Amino acid sequence: MMTTGFETALGEITLVLFTTLAPSGVLGFSIMAGALAFGRFDRDVRSRINQFLCIPLMISMVGLIASATHLGNPANALYVFMGVGRSPLSTEVFCAVIFLFLAGVYWLYSFSQRQVVGLQRVWSVAIIAAGIAFVTAVAFAYDAETIVSWNTAYVPIGLWLNAVVGGPLVALLSFRAAKAEAIVGRYGPLLCGVSAVALVLNTAGYAMQGTALAGIENSFGTAADLVPFYGLAVAAFFVLCTAGVLSMQLAVRAGRIPDLARAAVSCALAYGGIFVMRFVFYMMHMTIGLGF
Amino acid sequence: MAQYGFHFNAQRCTGCKTCMLACKDFHDLPSAISFRQVYEYGGGAWSQNDRGLWTQDCFAYYLSVSCNHCSDPACTKVCPTGAMHKGEGGLVSVDRKKCIGCGYCALSCPYRAPKVDRSQGFSVKCDGCASRVLAGEKPVCVEACPLRALDFGEVSDLREAFGDAADLAPLPPSDATQPNLAITLPRHAARAAEGSIENAREIV
Repeated sequence: MMTTGFETALGEITLVLFTTLAPSGVLGFSIMAGALAFGRFDRDVRSRINQFLCIPLMISMVGLIASATHLGNPANALYVFMGVGRSPLSTEVFCAVIFLFLAGVYWLYSFSQRQVVGLQRVWSVAIIAAGIAFVTAVAFAYDAETIVSWNTAYVPIGLWLNAVVGGPLVALLSFRAAKAEAIVGRYGPLLCGVSAVALVLNTAGYAMQGTALAGIENSFGTAADLVPFYGLAVAAFFVLCTAGVLSMQLAVRAGRIPDLARAAVSCALAYGGIFVMRFVFYMMHMTIGLGF
Repeated sequence: MAQYGFHFNAQRCTGCKTCMLACKDFHDLPSAISFRQVYEYGGGAWSQNDRGLWTQDCFAYYLSVSCNHCSDPACTKVCPTGAMHKGEGGLVSVDRKKCIGCGYCALSCPYRAPKVDRSQGFSVKCDGCASRVLAGEKPVCVEACPLRALDFGEVSDLREAFGDAADLAPLPPSDATQPNLAITLPRHAARAAEGSIENAREIV
């Protein structure tokens, strides 16, 4: 008898949290960094946007801290950098550190009395590059040939689309918190549209991945056996994320400014949907031989 | 450089699991961790002909599996710290001073060899009883087997003596990680594709 992958996913729950929170948080930060790099704002608005970068930064940090709690021996963590380029996990941690360093120092610098806007623009571009590298590294973190259910194109594509579903909502929440009404009013519908398109693609990708699961097998059974409620999970993902995107879209349509609580609930709903599919991802873990 | 490996004789093994227990005893392992597993693998069915006569074509064999100290190990490739490494005699082991207990080795190994011991905070696995091997002895599982179905030594010697078969269900294809394992195939090896693991709930 084959058990489901529930126990595997529960054992890796901190990684489920990390891969739920961080990619959208990082993309949300990068979208804000994009505004700071290329937008023209008066000093007060720029300052508030700078300071409310703390929202995506905190979300990403909470994810990273969650992932660190699953380590048995964090004291040895510095050895992780020995595997950069060889182990995808090392590369992921390295990219995370670079991103968080750039993002964190930028945020701290934004409290400085004398800020050089030109430097902040260049710095923001560097943060965007580091953010893209980080999300890509997370997407490929478990790209091992022996793990058949994870070694497919659906996995990195799914994670990146997760980030594009959640990232714009996180950015909108943060812009709203920063009272950057002009950005929310002008770019709100566009960001919600990007999120909605990503959601459709993400759901279609999950549906296609679902049809492939029955064909992925080892001596214990198929990957489909590990995730018996896969269809229901995809439906939950779609419903929760749609609710999140729609709620934000309705709030920002026609240039209106959403209520802060409503923006936060929209993000939470989308995160709820993403969490479900990240849990499912860890449930479907299966190696080519004797592992499940 | 010498490369050690195991030989398993599937024509002798009776599935008694003495190898597993000797290993657990020697390495003082908790109930949830086993460095060696014995898989009961079988297939076939009963069928009735037109005259009501029942016949069966069932088959079964056992497979005792530990770390195969692969030449191209999945665990060392993914290990972020380099704690999982190939050492003397080509034996794969964990450097506890480097391991962070992330569990990636356990997730990637197609032989279920490494496990994360949450109580100690790092990965643990069969090291080929390196301390015994250094003292000129064989690993404890080999010594304990009452059927002499297991052997250990330089893999080139084992392959010369027993052949180089390493592909047998439910094992993964050997080209994935190049295990240092020589199997004397069971009588029913040709029917392996029809079978399934019969004791999945016993496997930890």
